[in-house]
Amino acid sequence: MKKLLLLTMMVFLIGALFVSCGGKKEAAQTAAPAATTTQAAPAAAPAAKPAAKLKVGMVTDAGTIDDKSFNQGTWEGILKAQNEGLVEAKYLKPSGTTEADYLKEIGNLYDAGYKFIILPGYKFETALYIAQDKYKDAKFVILDGEPHTADYVTYRTEPNVVCVIWNEHESGFLAGVAAALHIKEGEVGFIGGMEVPAVQKFNWGWQQGIKYANENLGTKIVQKQENNLYQGSFDNVAAGQQIAASMYDKGVKVIFAAAGGVGVGAINETKSRVTAGKEVWMVGVDVDQYPEGLLPNGKSVMLTSAMKYLDRASYDMIKAELAGTFPGGQTLHFSAANNGLGIPPVNPNLSAEVQAKVSEVSQLMLKGEIKVAGELLPGFFK
Amino acid sequence: MKVRFKSNSFVIALSAVVLGLIAGGIFMAMIGSDPFEGFLYLFKGGLMNIERIGNTIATATTLILVGLSVSFAFKTGLFNIGASGQMLIGGLCATLVAHFVNIPRPLYLVVLIAAALVGGAIWGIIPGLLKAKFNVHEVVATIMMNWIAYWSIFYFVPAFLKGPFLETESKSILLEKSLRAAWLNKLFGGSQYINLGIFVAIVAIILIKFILDKTTLGFELKAVGSNRYCAEYAGIRVNRNVIISMMIAGGLAGLAGMVFYTGYASNMQIGVMPSMGFDGIAVALLGASNPIGVFFSGFFFGLLQSGKGFMNAMTDVPPEIADTIIATIIYFTATSVLFKRFWDWVARLLSVKFDKKGGN
Repeated sequence: MKKLLLLTMMVFLIGALFVSCGGKKEAAQTAAPAATTTQAAPAAAPAAKPAAKLKVGMVTDAGTIDDKSFNQGTWEGILKAQNEGLVEAKYLKPSGTTEADYLKEIGNLYDAGYKFIILPGYKFETALYIAQDKYKDAKFVILDGEPHTADYVTYRTEPNVVCVIWNEHESGFLAGVAAALHIKEGEVGFIGGMEVPAVQKFNWGWQQGIKYANENLGTKIVQKQENNLYQGSFDNVAAGQQIAASMYDKGVKVIFAAAGGVGVGAINETKSRVTAGKEVWMVGVDVDQYPEGLLPNGKSVMLTSAMKYLDRASYDMIKAELAGTFPGGQTLHFSAANNGLGIPPVNPNLSAEVQAKVSEVSQLMLKGEIKVAGELLPGFFK
Repeated sequence: MKVRFKSNSFVIALSAVVLGLIAGGIFMAMIGSDPFEGFLYLFKGGLMNIERIGNTIATATTLILVGLSVSFAFKTGLFNIGASGQMLIGGLCATLVAHFVNIPRPLYLVVLIAAALVGGAIWGIIPGLLKAKFNVHEVVATIMMNWIAYWSIFYFVPAFLKGPFLETESKSILLEKSLRAAWLNKLFGGSQYINLGIFVAIVAIILIKFILDKTTLGFELKAVGSNRYCAEYAGIRVNRNVIISMMIAGGLAGLAGMVFYTGYASNMQIGVMPSMGFDGIAVALLGASNPIGVFFSGFFFGLLQSGKGFMNAMTDVPPEIADTIIATIIYFTATSVLFKRFWDWVARLLSVKFDKKGGN
């Protein structure tokens, strides 16, 4: 009997031990997913929601939801719709980046009743090619891509799919003009992540923008092959810092980085140079990266950003679906002409004069008087 | 009468799993979710219908093979952290075969498996040699080999296997060249990724079990694992066994790479270190380095991996909870000595009691 008592006490003691251990562990563990839970918080906020609200799902691309780029931009558009009480939203983060991982999460969303699914990035193309047939009663929006087979032979967009493509080169062009006008003379550099079309188009547009400013707006900017390179990844922060350092050492004044985490390294280098009293600048990508370049004194090293209005794409598509005008089966091109890209509306580091000039150029582009090529033109760097 | 209850690795693993799940439940409760609901959807996500069971098996296959690789090295007292790199090289060899070898399917599959085995084995044998000849610790060597594989793939794939547009991944292999089989997909209700790899894994388990339990080689390997000096004294050639052990472990991880890159996925992405290489360590730990145990623990981890997305879709429980549960289970497995003592103590109590009764 005594032993039995001892035994039960033992069990309780061990139990208590685990609970207390659990508590400590929990504190450490919640620190990481805190970002996700805070973003999920608004989901729970509007408690009194009508029964049949559109359930919008999103699968994140490589990287986290707060990547200050594709995932975040897309999700912000969805959140905007949710905060307006239009939809109920949820995002899932796949455990890998293979087609199988993506399809699995699409299936999870579908089975959970999220039948309006937004997929940010070209990496979803092949998964969507399968999913569009498998989940016929679901609707899909893919940003920056079009569904096709793995061998790129067959492209097919079903009526339940909308593709959104940006003319990144136009955005890069505008950023190039802005940067050229700001520094007037000197050298500029470009750092790309991987050599994928979206990044290349930013680069080509940027070079054309600089050239345009040189030829038409009286600037004297030098572009060199050695200051135009792709690092080869989107996450090597240290390499980004190194590349930026060597460019600045060679006399580059402005670096345009379309490179994810590599760009973060470049921003860090720029910050330390500016803190040391040098006059160098960065140009951001995808979203308004002004806040990323903030220094302790409240100023930012971000001259401007070559933006793709990702949030607008996801928000507009949700609105279209709610209005019953979902443009299924189509590929939409977001360009300067339909206000789908550009530099941020507010650029504290650009003078009013420069901003006026840039919007003038943007107007010319809108009218079709300036044509920006989305391919590698002769005389430009790869 | 004496009750013959002794703690064995199965009871210990089960205790670790149960405690891990309880801890996970506590985490869920702490963030204000219903743990029972969470677990319901977690397991539903992996087992809800035949298609999802197929997906779970597909996820588990890679884990089982990597777990087998790690546990095999464990048996010889070696810690193979290099499964990721061996997976990459095995996968690369398999991908090359899939692209360039055109022969009838049965023969093709044999060549595919052989290529992956050889690729992984080469990547395993190098740390084995370094350990045997120069006493370079295998942990250091295998980690280095991981990165060598990672960067070799990084440059090799764009140079020789480049897809038509993307620089970041290899050209996809043809469906008929992959390990997927139409009848298997049909059997599992249209599951996309279930593939012949599961049979490879089962055969591998049986073979490894046979080698370890029924052959002289297996005996020698285990002898080196339990005490290499004693084994040396007994006339066993320790260095040779270290090399053989790493070679076989590497080959198994190579097979995992084949299953992953030509079955589960259909191309190789550069700049991605397969995380399964490290998850395999957990699988081996929970499976107590026993081939049969590895099979079940691999399946269990596969279930958690594959169900967590659905849990996240249905509840507000973040997917990190599933990872936390896995981590907690590993934590409990690592402290298995405590469980062993606990259960032995319980057994002693019970047997004493029964003895008394018997005496009356």
